[in-house]
Formats: sequence, C-alpha cells, structure tokens
Amino acid sequence: MILGRRIRPEAMLGFVVTLCVATLVLPPLIAAAVAGSSAGFTPLHEPGIVANTLIFGAATTIAALLLGGGLALALAPGVPGRAMLERLVVMPLYLTPLLTAMGWNWLASPRSGLVNLVLHETLGSWATINIVSVPGVVAVSAFAFAPLPFLLISDALRALDPSLLESARVHGASAGRVFRRIVLPLLQPAALAAALLVCVEAVGMFSVPAVLGLPAGFNVATTQIFQLLENYPPRIAEATAWGVLLLGIAAVLTLAQAALLGRRSFVTVTGKAFRPAAGRPRAPRGRAAFALLYVALAAVLPLLALLWAASCEFVPARLGLMRFTFQHFAFVLNQYPKTWLAAGNSVLLGALTGCLVCGLGLGVSWVVLRGRGRGAQALDQLSMIPLSMPAMVFALGLLWVYVRVPLPIYGTALILLIAYSTHYLPYGVRTTSAALRQLHPELEEAARVAGASWMGAMRRITLPLLQPTIFAAWVLLFIMAMQEVSSSMLLYTSHSIVLSVAVFDLWENGNPSDVAALGFVQLAASFIVVSAVLALRQRRGLA
Amino acid sequence: MTRLGSLGAVAAEGLVVAHGAVPAVRGIGFTAAPGEFLTLLGPSGCGKTTTLRAIAGLETPRAGRIAIGGQKVFDAADGVDLPPERRGLAMVFQSYAIWPHMTVFENVAFGLRARGVRKAALGDVVRRSLDLVGLADFANRPATRLSGGQQQRVALARSIAGDPAVILLDEPLSNLDAQLRLAMRAELKSLQRRLGLTAIYVTHDQEEALALSDRILVMREGAIAQAGTPQQILDAPASRFVAAFMGVRNILPCIAERGGGAMTAVLKNGVRLPARGDGGSFVCFRPASVRLSAAPEPGAHPAEVAAATCLGDIVEYELRCGEVALSARELSRRALPPGTPVFWRVDPDDCFLLAD
Repeated sequence: MILGRRIRPEAMLGFVVTLCVATLVLPPLIAAAVAGSSAGFTPLHEPGIVANTLIFGAATTIAALLLGGGLALALAPGVPGRAMLERLVVMPLYLTPLLTAMGWNWLASPRSGLVNLVLHETLGSWATINIVSVPGVVAVSAFAFAPLPFLLISDALRALDPSLLESARVHGASAGRVFRRIVLPLLQPAALAAALLVCVEAVGMFSVPAVLGLPAGFNVATTQIFQLLENYPPRIAEATAWGVLLLGIAAVLTLAQAALLGRRSFVTVTGKAFRPAAGRPRAPRGRAAFALLYVALAAVLPLLALLWAASCEFVPARLGLMRFTFQHFAFVLNQYPKTWLAAGNSVLLGALTGCLVCGLGLGVSWVVLRGRGRGAQALDQLSMIPLSMPAMVFALGLLWVYVRVPLPIYGTALILLIAYSTHYLPYGVRTTSAALRQLHPELEEAARVAGASWMGAMRRITLPLLQPTIFAAWVLLFIMAMQEVSSSMLLYTSHSIVLSVAVFDLWENGNPSDVAALGFVQLAASFIVVSAVLALRQRRGLA
Repeated sequence: MTRLGSLGAVAAEGLVVAHGAVPAVRGIGFTAAPGEFLTLLGPSGCGKTTTLRAIAGLETPRAGRIAIGGQKVFDAADGVDLPPERRGLAMVFQSYAIWPHMTVFENVAFGLRARGVRKAALGDVVRRSLDLVGLADFANRPATRLSGGQQQRVALARSIAGDPAVILLDEPLSNLDAQLRLAMRAELKSLQRRLGLTAIYVTHDQEEALALSDRILVMREGAIAQAGTPQQILDAPASRFVAAFMGVRNILPCIAERGGGAMTAVLKNGVRLPARGDGGSFVCFRPASVRLSAAPEPGAHPAEVAAATCLGDIVEYELRCGEVALSARELSRRALPPGTPVFWRVDPDDCFLLAD
C-alpha cells in the first residue's frame, strides 16, 4: 500500500506551475524595483517628463474610454451589420501601434502627409492637420487602445439583466434616466477595469510616442528610457529609475481601483442578451457610421497610407511628384540583410510564445480552479502581475537579472521568449480559465472514476474539450508577440533581431518607403502563418 | 483494518471531510453489505455528496478510513490514499458528465479502455451494457444529441460496463422530469438487483430513498441522524428532524401521561391521544393518518377546516382544533370549504412520542 503515498501528479503540477510563474515574474520585478530605487537618480529631477507621462496617460485613458465605451453603447442590437462591426472594431488589437503611428505620420505629418498635401493644393498652406504633436500622440494611442474598453464594456452590457432596465421603465423612468441611473452605475466596474488596463498600457507604450511625440519634442518616460539606453555607455540604472516610476503609477492605479470598487458590493449582474428597454436604438445608421469611422481612422487609413508610402518612389512634398514602384518591396526582401533573419526569429518566437503561454496559462487555470491545494488565490494574483507591469520595465528587470545568471539567456532569443511569455501570461490565464470554468468538473471526475489516471483524464477529456479555445488563444498570442516592440527594443541582439525592431530600426535610420515596405512584410508574415495554421487545422478536420 | 473491510463491500469509519475550517462531514461511519442498496438521505448541505465523493477518492478526508471490497483505499492515519482510478468503483454523477466530444459508444468504452480491456472484447461489452439500458441502437450517436433521459442511461451504461462490484450514485434522477424519474427509478432498482451491485445512493428525496433502499442513512449537518431500513425509519423516527424529513407534518408539543401500561399525549387544547413510545414532549403523526368524518364518532375530536387544497385525487387540509393547528390529507376530489366543522381521530399505532 506504499503506492498510495505516491506524490499525486496534480499536486506536482501545482508545485511546478507555481515555481515557473514565480521564476518568470518575481526576479525581474524585484530587480527592476531594487536597481531603479538605488540608482541615485529619481525621475523627479526631470519634472517635465514626469508631467508629460502623466498627461499622456490620463488623456489617452479618457479618450480611449470614451471612444471604446461609446462604441460599445453605439453597437446596440438593431444596428445594421452589428456582428460584422463588432469584429471590425477590435481590428486595431491585431495591428501594431508602431505601424498605425507610422501610417498616421504619412497621412498627416505637417509637410509631407498625404492629407496635408491634398489640403495644401486645394486650400493653401494654412490648412494643416499636424499629427506629429501631443494631441496627435494621444489620438493615435487612443485609437489603438479603444478596443480594450470596447470589449470589457460590451461584455458588461451583455451581462446586464434586461429586467433591471424594464422594471425601471415600468416604474416611470425615462430612457435617459434609466441610462444615467441604472446602466452607467452598473457599467462602472467594467469601465474602471478598462481605465486601469489602458492607463498602465499607455504610460508603458513606447511606439506611438517615439514615432509621433519625440519629433515634436514630447518626451515621456518610455522614450526617455529608450534614449538613456541609446547613449554610450548606456545609462541602465537611470533608465530603470524611470521604470520604477511606471511601476509606481501602475501600483497607485491598482490600489485606487481596489479602493473605488471595494467600498461597494456589486451583486453579480446576470441575465440574457442586452435588450435596451426602448426596443430599437435611435439613429441605427448613425451608430454604424460612427463605428465605421473609427475603423477607418484606427486601421484602414493608416494601413492605406502605409501601402501608399511603400509603393511611392519617394514620399513627395507635392502630389505632382508622386510615382509608384515596387523597388522598396524588392529592396526589403532581397537586399536589406535583416529582413529574413528577423522574420524567422519573429515567427519562431511568436509560435513558441503562443505554446508556452497557452501551456502555462492552462496549468495555472487548472491549479487555481480545480486543484485542491492551498495558495491557489496567490498563484492567480501572481500570474496577473505582468498586467500592471509595462513591458519595457519588465525588460529592464530581465537585463539586471540575466546579466548575472550564468546561463545562455542574456543576449539570445531566449530572453525575448521569457519577456514575451511573461508579459502575455495574464492573457493565457484569463482565456483558459474562462473556458475551464465552462467545463463541468464532473467530466474530469467521471474519467478518473472510470479508471483514467490524472494524465489520462487531462489528455482524453480536458484538453480535447478545451482545444478550440487554446487554439484561438494561440493565434492571438502569436499575433501579439509578432508585433511586440517595447521590450524587444531593449533585449534584442544582432542575432535575435525581430521584425518589429527591424521596422523601428529602419524608421530611425532608413528610407521611409523602405520602412513602410518592411511594415507590410511584418503584417504579411503574421497573416501567412496564421492562415497556414488555420488551413492545416481545417484539413485535419479540427475546425 | 482488513477486518473493517471484510465486513462489507464498502466500509467507512470516522470520516471527517472539511473544506477550509468548517467540516462538511463530521466523523461518519457505516458499512454497506455486498449487494445492498444503501441510501444517504438528507437536505442539501448535510454532507451526503461529500461523503460519496470521499469514497470515490474525489475528496481527501482529514481523518478516517475507507475500505472497498475488503481492501483499504484510504486511511488518514498511515497516509494510504488510492487515487479514484485505482478504487475500482463506478459512479453516476448528478450532471451525468457525458463527455460531449465522444459518441455514445466511446463514452461507454472509455473506462474499459482505461482499464485495459482488449479491443476484440470491447465491442461486445459495450453493446451488452447499452442493451441493458435500452440504448443498443444509439451506439454511434454523438453524445451531444441525446435527451436528458438518454444521457442518464448512457451514464448508467458507462458505469456498469466495467462490471463493478460497487456503484456510487449522486442524485442521478434529480435532473429528470417527474414521469421519467419514476420510470428510471424502477429500472435502476431492477438493474441493481439483477447485477447484484452494491449501490450507495445519494438523494434529498425521501420518496426515492424509500422506494429504492435496503437501508437508509438519514444525515444532518455532517453526521448520521438515523440509520435503518425504510420501514424502521418510517415507523420510529429517532428525532423530530428525521420525522419531519420523512414527511411527518404533525409534530405537536404535548405532555405524555402513563396510565395502565399505555401512553397518552395531552395536547395544549386538552385533546388526549393514545400514542406509542415511552414518553417525550412531542406527539407525531402523518397527515395521511388523520381520519376525518362529518359526524361525531367514538374517539374523534371536533375541529374546523382552516384551509383546504385540492391536489387532484388528494385534498390537503389545515385544521384548527382549539389552539392546535394540524395537517390532514384525504383521498377525495372535493375539498370541504373553510369553516366546515369536522371530526378527526388518529389510530394509536400511527401516533408516536418523541423526546426531541
């Protein structure tokens, strides 16, 4: 009966998963915090940049929240083409803000932007839209982040019990009053969660401020970190001190959110599909047009500008000088030495990140939801830490840690894999745990009682049933990892360069049209791999 | 310990199961003999499902021992804890837990494959089990395209396919509609008899427990309130809780008087009822034991109809008899209107005294 004493695989899983997550998350966090606080420099020496960071974070958050929340409310049932519009509206999530920022630069930079060229020739040189400005940075960032509040708030709307609204109407409240007194308060938790998410992402965002802010003299914490590291010798300690500022902002926001939500109890709002009490929405076409306008500004126009820039012989100062050519694509594909290496690295890293995050995320979800060990809550919170840790700060922490660790990690693609996997871990945990929660635990238990080992039950019951979710999560993670730029910027070497870094590199030192062409290569690489995987899956009859 | 096991097909002793600080099961022990149908009966939260899951190995008790078929499968004292797959049990879950990505055949074959039944024999065994539950024609149907009753049958076929000695059933009929529940109840009972299975059955439905069981354990707050055959529990509930749970709706405070070797319960309104038992402060009888008549009869007490509900073939009455309210039920299709004077009496055999 000694066999009964064997360590159970589920207990082992709990131990291994906790160890992995802790090893991924904690050392860089602690290293960044310690190194940054003992740098002998505080960001308060540069109050201007601190103020810029806060203003940028606040303005972007408010704009993205209004835009995303507005879209969620606008796309009520009854709006023509709602299902399609809901998919289009989240499209910017799949586009890297680096490319949309560049696209907007070619659309509306004051002298050579396409829009301004047209305006100058029709109205005269006084008519200029300048995207290379603080409002420009905020607008393009808000375009990029709006899908996050859109998703969270439309989920909350969907979960809203229609009878709450109907009973308010029956008791004599007008539609406007119902909205103000019932709908808005019930949406508050989702809106706050979205605000926190956007604000942390915004103050940690590098690409848009770098492309549209720096040329206008608008310097924020992330661009400052980048410049400090571009120095020779790189001032890593000082850069890390800026990272601690970002960590501090995230910590304060998280505490503020907890304090705001903690004071009130939110009974779970359940119910059927969201049906506004007023039946059909007012101005259904206007609502659809609003959503389409957003999609145009956030995705379609910048992409068209990218295509235009990539196929122009050179980005002209006058419309008359425009000539089209494929030479930039040819250069990027045949001559630019980094393209193929970076593409290979990006695809490999994206695929591995997807696998690692799905695997670890599933492990965490299982231990948290099904495991009987203690500390499940702690593991859940531990795995969510990366959400409030800007990727750039995390990368700085990784530098401090792995410079000292005598393993072939520093200066290899492995450090990028670690950075991506940790940064996206919360997405993996959230999606897999949502799916696992839908799966009745008795399905697994029935397999155990029927004679399957824990492994057998996982392999034959749980994994096959979760397989569609895991696949969808893998695709999303692949796409997100393919476009990651903030931490890649700090961790790459000439061997481990990735496409997003190569694009930014060309942006700084190359021909604008070549950048645009390389940007297209980056998008195409994502598209081709995802399509190929989808096709493969379909052929195996899994879809 | 082996002695404990050899006493029956399933034996549990001193089981304590706790989720967090509050124990759900507080030191339960029982034995199910081979071929016995044993039911754990109790209200929700009484620990009956937790006990069943502990036997299956799906919960780890803090203390106690469990033996199945004479083999020790759990002992908190020396750390023995066989995982579920090595306890050789079958179990039917409340949700049926039919694997939606498999066909009916694959669902039934799963356990056989996991336990190493050879492919040649597999088809025959699966078909025989499906035959037993009347689903022989459904083998190739996807499990998602089954009705509730069919899912129930698949769950049953799946659990008996491996020819187990012991089957655990966790409220298997609670998700079925009333008519189907009756039919499945009868089928379940005959299947258990035919296959000679030892069944441990969990339910909160006293009628189900009475109809199926050889023996019932009534549970309350993690402990056994009473154990016995259905007849024993019906005839002599051990406490007011058990009596109320078994459908005894009249539990009236009284003073018990002994006179000439028999007991008499004196109610608050002065009514005297001869009763069984050796004393106590409550007199109990089922509503159906109350006989009503329109005219005075020897031994009958006057009362007035306070409320009447017609349930088809049965009328349920609330009666007022002085300051005492009592329930009665009568086979009838016509209810007497409130305010009607009636006379009631209870057979002394149907009336018993309880201390608590």
